[in-house]
Amino acid sequence: MRRTLNPGRTVAWIVLIVLMLLTLFPFYWMLRTAFSDNTQLAGNPNSLLPVESTLGAFKRVLGLATVEEAQAQGGSGASVNFWLYLRNSLVVATVTTVCQVFFSAMAAYAFARLRWPGRDKVFAVFLAALMVPPIFTTLPNFVLIKNLGLLNSFAGIILPGAFMTPFAIFFLRQFFLGISRELEEAAMIDGAGHRKIFFGLILPMSAAPITTLAILTYINSWNDYFWPLLVGQQENVRVLTVALGVFRSQTPQGSPDWAGLMAATLIAALPMIILFLAFAKRITNSIGFSGIK
Amino acid sequence: MTLSRRSLLKAGLAGIAATAVAGCNNGAASRGTGEVIYWLWDSAQLPMYAEAAKAFHEQNPQYTVTIEQYGWNDYWSKLVTGFISGTAPDVFTSHSAKYPLFADKGQVLPIDDFVAQDGVDLGIYQQGLADRWVGADGKRYGLPKDWDTEAYFYNSAFTEAAGISTEQLNSMTWNPQDGGTFEEIVRRLTVDAKGRRGDQPGFDKETVKVHGLGFADGGGNDGQTSWSWYAASNGWKYSEGEPWGTRFFYGDPKFTETIAWWRGLITKGYMPTLAQAKSGVDVTATFGAGKYGITPNGSWMMGAYSGLGKVKTKLARLPEGPNGKRMSMMNGLADTIWAGTTRQEAAWAWVKFLGSKQAQDIVAKAGVVFPAVKECMPAATAAFKADGWDITPFLEPVAAGATFAYPASPNAADLTAIMSPAMDSVMAFETDPADLVEANDEVNQVLAAAS
Amino acid sequence: MTATTSAPPGRKRRNLGDLKVALIFLGPATLGFVVFYIWPTLRGAYLSFTQYSLLSPPEFTGLKNYERMIHDGFFWNALVVTVEYVAINIGLQTVLAVLIAMLMYRLTKSITVRAVILLPYLVANVVVALVWYWMLDFQVGIVNQALTWIGIDPVAFFGDSAWAIPTVAGINIWRHMGYTALLVFAGLQTIPPYVYEAAAVDGSTEMKTFWRITLPLLRPVLVMVTVVTIIGSFQIFDTVAVTTQGGPINATRVIYYYIYERAFTRFDFGYASAMAMVLFAILAIVSLLQLRLLRAKESDLS
Repeated sequence: MRRTLNPGRTVAWIVLIVLMLLTLFPFYWMLRTAFSDNTQLAGNPNSLLPVESTLGAFKRVLGLATVEEAQAQGGSGASVNFWLYLRNSLVVATVTTVCQVFFSAMAAYAFARLRWPGRDKVFAVFLAALMVPPIFTTLPNFVLIKNLGLLNSFAGIILPGAFMTPFAIFFLRQFFLGISRELEEAAMIDGAGHRKIFFGLILPMSAAPITTLAILTYINSWNDYFWPLLVGQQENVRVLTVALGVFRSQTPQGSPDWAGLMAATLIAALPMIILFLAFAKRITNSIGFSGIK
Repeated sequence: MTLSRRSLLKAGLAGIAATAVAGCNNGAASRGTGEVIYWLWDSAQLPMYAEAAKAFHEQNPQYTVTIEQYGWNDYWSKLVTGFISGTAPDVFTSHSAKYPLFADKGQVLPIDDFVAQDGVDLGIYQQGLADRWVGADGKRYGLPKDWDTEAYFYNSAFTEAAGISTEQLNSMTWNPQDGGTFEEIVRRLTVDAKGRRGDQPGFDKETVKVHGLGFADGGGNDGQTSWSWYAASNGWKYSEGEPWGTRFFYGDPKFTETIAWWRGLITKGYMPTLAQAKSGVDVTATFGAGKYGITPNGSWMMGAYSGLGKVKTKLARLPEGPNGKRMSMMNGLADTIWAGTTRQEAAWAWVKFLGSKQAQDIVAKAGVVFPAVKECMPAATAAFKADGWDITPFLEPVAAGATFAYPASPNAADLTAIMSPAMDSVMAFETDPADLVEANDEVNQVLAAAS
Repeated sequence: MTATTSAPPGRKRRNLGDLKVALIFLGPATLGFVVFYIWPTLRGAYLSFTQYSLLSPPEFTGLKNYERMIHDGFFWNALVVTVEYVAINIGLQTVLAVLIAMLMYRLTKSITVRAVILLPYLVANVVVALVWYWMLDFQVGIVNQALTWIGIDPVAFFGDSAWAIPTVAGINIWRHMGYTALLVFAGLQTIPPYVYEAAAVDGSTEMKTFWRITLPLLRPVLVMVTVVTIIGSFQIFDTVAVTTQGGPINATRVIYYYIYERAFTRFDFGYASAMAMVLFAILAIVSLLQLRLLRAKESDLS
């Protein structure tokens, strides 16, 4: 497609840029807040630049400030053992994503490309799980993990999401349905079994949706808060979101450490942004090679 | 252990095993019998309790304390999950609004026997505090650790600009008809966009820049930091049979006339509308932005007000009401022991230590909250003074015996669920104060059904 | 259930088909499904017939919880408020997502653009809610400051009953539109270029191509996206919990928040379970209707 700058294209670009600015402004506001002096924030609500700009908030979050300093700056005195929690988050999100996407892809294959009696009914049941309010699952799952002796272990945090989510199966099934049958049948004629078709044909053909799903799964797992809070409170398995929860609500009616909270949020999101940028480049390349556009 | 594993699993899955499982949770297996897990929610208090834990361990080398802190919202949901699954902490900080239900459900350990056995002197605490932790069943569930009352926080730059003296601020009167000198001061502190004060000609209540009085919300069922002292000094009380109310009086004329006056301040422009008040950050941050002259609040908030960089804050006494008194609610926290703990001895030793003068001295010196032990108050007063606070307005109601208790009830959550929308609806002018009779009937129905 | 693939004619075999292979492929997922979804749901269904305070054993009470629901004004209010939220949220979000996906597809392959669009989704729900809560504050929020600068009166976004639900919906649209756009984008990428080339040869205009070709070919993905987002938005909770807590008065007491309140602050878990069952039923019906109406069969390509 050749790019010419006709009026329609210009308008389209303007719309896209406006949408991107709307998307970005709150992030600017987070940055501006994170670099501000927390005690001065309330007094200068409409300053577009950081108020009395300081690195104090980042120091507080990373534990580089003493408790006294942190409290004097309107912080909580709690800090984050950043590198340890980062490692834990990486472990949890990576294992969850790999297992969940792979097992879900297997199931989706069975639902989309295999023929067996009762398939659609079983799929409907799986799909219905999408509608199960989490309020049902959290408590029994917690008790189960506890009785399995998996509290405060990576296994306990990862297990409920490791095998499938209804969404992942549904998502991949829809894409697997779209793959043309001729290719599959040609492979069959060549004597390929289901394993070969799955690994050699379906998975590579679905590289784009699978990576999309993997990214989304990774983000979700990274941002998950309540479950790891319940199951993994000990230092050695505590993930970033749980650690940052300390900043969120402090005293029953206290005014929060806004600067610290924003700094913490940015710090928690940063690894994701870096990963995403690094990863996304490779994805588009691989899509380009496989010829699916 | 192997025998019960399977049945425990089953029972646990059925979710009915809160107490049965309690005896053998995983956390318990991996730690010694002298190791106490202690929870609190206020991060500002973490350093002082860490210090207390150190002192405790030095005196009792057989015991150690691990402190865990979770924010207010996570704290309670995690605690309940802990009760159900048998992973709750041995000792935890508790609140008047929450413990009656936990006690009612058998989740908190009565400590009467321990108190009797060790001869704990309950007379060292501020008047009435220890009894706050005697439940509806007559059993004692905790030793008090701190207490709080209410006062007005005011922006001293604004009061000076308005020509209001400290004496005037500390001798305010109030009544539900014209609001007394209190309303006069609030009126004077209100400033519109053109700089005209509430008591000056041409004042435009539609374009108010600074509201005289801070407003958070309708106050729910307790009104602790919003209307409780007006209503109390108007001769109203929450319920029959206090402190364990059996029939509430939210429909009482004394209460409705108080609320009608209070909401009148919105009409006059001295207080923002409910929509504005509930639209964003809390009262304290808004006060910090220089949008309020006076905000009422609890003593535990002094740290937050100290942290407001731009605004200089001072304290004023609550007004003298129709009954001739300056009334304030007095409430406090206590440390309670989980009924399912396998470390009762160690847990009690820690609770006893936290309620002792030695631990409360540490609390006092930190200058965050008021210690429950009377003798420790001078140290706390000094600590607050060092931070620039004269805390007399908080102490006076206690000295004068003009305090009343938080309306505790095992059904507190239901009362809040009914009263919060009802009060907000009145303050939003969607219903009238007289309509609170209906909400009150609902409250009493819930109580009748529960008993 | 109509979400089926039609088996190609001529290959019909009246036996177990690929059942053996299917069992292997389904094995791990089924294990997770039964243990972490089916079992808790059955237990929840049972609890909906009990009075259960979480802290003492459940007592069987038959249909009492369901009867209570009929007379519970809060419940009905919660349903209405939730539907209002879902309508605003899904309507705007889907349109915006398709728009963004199309723009990205037609204008640029830039990774940066894609990353920017997905950025809000990288931030946890609760923090997103907090940031907006602060930006939209009536007195000190930057949005209202900006409105004042251009001569508009400040708006009580969270405090005004009429504004509260649209505001909460807006925040979630901000966070999720990039995510949804990316799903749609993934769908766009699977449409073979020759289809467009053929359309161009036929002299089809841009708009015509979109309505006649792109949208129909996107159908399987769009169905999946709307089913998933509708189910998700019926369960809106975090944003309300952080910002309005159901207020002002009852304006944002959405169904999931009300269920949560009943279960964990009022310890009325049996009643909460009954409401969750009703929510479950509603979602099942809505999704079924959706799948039927939109006929989420195979893509029109095959």
